[in-house]
Amino acid sequence: MVTLYLAQIVNSGLALGAVYGIMALGFSLIYNSSRLINFAQGELLLLGGLTLFSLSQAAHLGPLTALLAAGGCGYLLGRLLFATTLGLSINASPLRQLMLTVAASLCWQGVAILVWGKNPLLLPQLLPIPELRAGPIFLSRDTATALTLAVCSVLVLSLILGYTRIGRAIRAVSMNAVAARLQGVNPTTCRALSFAMAGALGALAAMAVGPQTMLRYDMGLGIGLKGFVAATIGGYTSLWKVFFGGLALGALEAVLVLVFSGELKETVTYALLILLLILAPHAGGHGERS
Amino acid sequence: MKPRNYRKAVILFFLVLAALGFVLPSYQLLAFNQHLFLAINVLALNFCLGLGGQISLAQGAFAGLGAYGSVILHGFFPGASPLIVPVCAGGAFLAAALLSLPMERLGEGFLAMATLGVSLIFTNLILTFDGLTGGSAGLMVSAPLVIPGVGEVSGDREYFLLFLGLLALGAYVFLSLRKSRLGRALQACKDDPPAASSCGVNRPMVRALAFGLGAALSALSGVLYGHYSGFISPEQYGLELSLMALLFLVIGGPGNLMRPILAALVLETALGQMHFLGDARTLCNGLLLGAALLLGYWRESKGKPLLPGL
Repeated sequence: MVTLYLAQIVNSGLALGAVYGIMALGFSLIYNSSRLINFAQGELLLLGGLTLFSLSQAAHLGPLTALLAAGGCGYLLGRLLFATTLGLSINASPLRQLMLTVAASLCWQGVAILVWGKNPLLLPQLLPIPELRAGPIFLSRDTATALTLAVCSVLVLSLILGYTRIGRAIRAVSMNAVAARLQGVNPTTCRALSFAMAGALGALAAMAVGPQTMLRYDMGLGIGLKGFVAATIGGYTSLWKVFFGGLALGALEAVLVLVFSGELKETVTYALLILLLILAPHAGGHGERS
Repeated sequence: MKPRNYRKAVILFFLVLAALGFVLPSYQLLAFNQHLFLAINVLALNFCLGLGGQISLAQGAFAGLGAYGSVILHGFFPGASPLIVPVCAGGAFLAAALLSLPMERLGEGFLAMATLGVSLIFTNLILTFDGLTGGSAGLMVSAPLVIPGVGEVSGDREYFLLFLGLLALGAYVFLSLRKSRLGRALQACKDDPPAASSCGVNRPMVRALAFGLGAALSALSGVLYGHYSGFISPEQYGLELSLMALLFLVIGGPGNLMRPILAALVLETALGQMHFLGDARTLCNGLLLGAALLLGYWRESKGKPLLPGL
């Protein structure tokens, strides 16, 4: 009985935790390159997923085409988000940039309502990944897909950031934009690219979360905030830590659901967020930059 | 405008609104009261964003705190309004100030996320303790608001005057605060936080005060609105209220007194007429907010060098 409970916690915790992990990666990418908290992160997932839904209705998507389509739409959505928020206000005060992402989040949600309606839509499972059984551990198809997607995105992302020229440029900008500029790196390009990568990650997260919880016009803020909590747990600096922050958050939620039947789940999660923000001395915790 | 003329204009504005309240038929006051409720919340957000430069997405939660607190307490002690209303306002003030004290040093983005968390925590708590709060089904208001010497308050016109009075009170406090020592300290915190600290401003404390004052004003508006509508539910005091308050404050310009209030009243009336918008309302709000932000930015940056430091 206890092992069954534990197996269920592991299964559902990993399924959502992987999604939070991917969202958290997008958050930290944008935060590190632009020092901006992106309120529209959840809407990147929402619109990416909805576009993918329409594509899968219009044509048969194989696994590879689905991945390419998700990456492509996400990339374009991220570029669009950059062009309409930070790209227009690169020298504005951080508060104004932040509120612009709030405005973008409202606009995108409005578009989702107008185009796809207010009913939840079920994104079909697009990747042929089987369920896994190893002794007491059981991973359902959704969980296995989410985990695979998440681990692959962390791997690909760390390869890009660590070994390519443009990845190194992005890291240089996140360390010191002025110095990077003096070395011939264009910070704006790098920031736009980090938005685009966050968008692609959002679309991949939608592929993982769509079959689990369906896509609804008002899911963006909630899931974006969960990704933010995960990024805060992970500390924004290392890709793997941020990803494991997501897994930890997913596991915590699963435990809360099983122990307290999930009623106070949100309260505990967000209270944890506020506590972490106040207590943890990470880079953003002391927000005064000159 | 000279300060004296400005004050005269403000007083005139409130007199005209009060006169409107006596002239208009009471069914039209229904919509007007809702707009006034929103305008009070815009003013409340102005205390922390306009004066102190701190964003808050928890304004709806504080209004809800007032509404739920007052309705539940009135259920236990009907007729004790003179005690309950100050308790609600004071409770919201304390809760907000205590929340704001440790969060002050978070900086814009993290503070916004934390207050968003506060707002979602409030909704979740209301939904969880459904024995007390009615949960998602909402709560019928059992006892009316009682003003000593006047009696029970009911009817659109009476509530219109109360809403207007609260707005005027908030405006008075805002104006006197802006000119006071505390207001200048807040202005310093907004313009340059490190410089303010090094001049001896106790930054967490002054900002907590502004945050608390805004929350108390929101809570009072929530008390009125809860008893006025006769029914309270979590959606009325959710994130949407906070976002709308932010929208109109940004359109009017944070730190100004009358322009955000006018923006809320005029635009909300105009948008209320446009039923054809329907589902496009969210998109419209987003576009309005974005346009206001960008216009403000372009106006500010006119004449400045394109890159700071060059």
